[in-house]
Amino acid sequence: MHEISLVQGLFEQLYSLAAEHGKHKVVQVYMEIGPFSGVVIDSFQFGFDALAKEDSLLENAILTIESPKAQYRCCGCGKTIEEEQRPKSCPSCSEIFFSAAGSEDIVLLRVEME
Amino acid sequence: MCDACGCDLQVDKHSHDSKVIEVHESLLAANTAIALTNRAHFDKMGVVAINMISSPGSGKTTLLEKTIEALGETIRIGVIEGDIETDRDAERIRAKGVPVIQLTTGGACHLDAAQIHKGIHLLEKEKGGKELDLLFIENVGNLVCPATFDLGEHHRIVLVSVPEGPDKPAKYPKAFHSSQLFIISKTDLLPYFDFPVEEAKKEALQLNPDLQVMDLSATAGGKGFDEWLMYLRNLC
Repeated sequence: MHEISLVQGLFEQLYSLAAEHGKHKVVQVYMEIGPFSGVVIDSFQFGFDALAKEDSLLENAILTIESPKAQYRCCGCGKTIEEEQRPKSCPSCSEIFFSAAGSEDIVLLRVEME
Repeated sequence: MCDACGCDLQVDKHSHDSKVIEVHESLLAANTAIALTNRAHFDKMGVVAINMISSPGSGKTTLLEKTIEALGETIRIGVIEGDIETDRDAERIRAKGVPVIQLTTGGACHLDAAQIHKGIHLLEKEKGGKELDLLFIENVGNLVCPATFDLGEHHRIVLVSVPEGPDKPAKYPKAFHSSQLFIISKTDLLPYFDFPVEEAKKEALQLNPDLQVMDLSATAGGKGFDEWLMYLRNLC
């Protein structure tokens, strides 16, 4: 459950941003979580909601998460498949090896504060 | 879409006293920055750092004990142990006569780069801790969370022991995706468990075609263990 540590890191960053911009309340937070980040999105959302409830800056803040899918390129025929899960085999040529492309990152895109 | 200003934020609770700040920063940026300084520090020390990731009980500490017994005379080895509580693993390694320090995370399920930064400086205070060829970082026993955090290591190794079963690469892809070496450990137990080694290797290679795979028993020795020692010698 390292999602909680990541949410704590996010909160620290939001506190610095609020101080920098002279704001007292976070209204909405927009994140992008890559398909190879190793983060379970439901756990991240759960951690955010649980910690935000107890926090004066984050209370009632809404978290929106964008989660782009991974791209799997077949090592046999080169076909690209966009999927959440690694395909078992290529629908065109039955190859089982794929090279995967997709972000490993967890990015704070933007935040609305007042 | 917000009718008032045309922005793409949800209308719900959207006030025009508010300000939208574009950030586009990684949550891992702080960890990654420290990991880079760790790596630079390892390079300056001339040490190769290895991050070992696995479930609890897959044999990381035993593999280290046997490795030190086999290579300790010729290669200078240091160890940073990571656990949630206790210094039991560090005690086991200390008994082998190499510099070691224990990091306890106090509940956290992984080591991060800042803890390793602290760990390096603690290790340097130990006898022999400044002159090392190989530094093993034994991560907290967990096949999930440690995979997300770069510690500044040069090599990442993931272990799965025979009793855990062959489906771990498919179930925990991130650890296998981010490692350079996959070790199947406790192969002396193969007669007692249903663990098709070749199938497990194939699944891991499907996830990461660049992964090197070894199967070995640290306690029974043999061909696989020699291959592991050769792998380490070649890193130095």
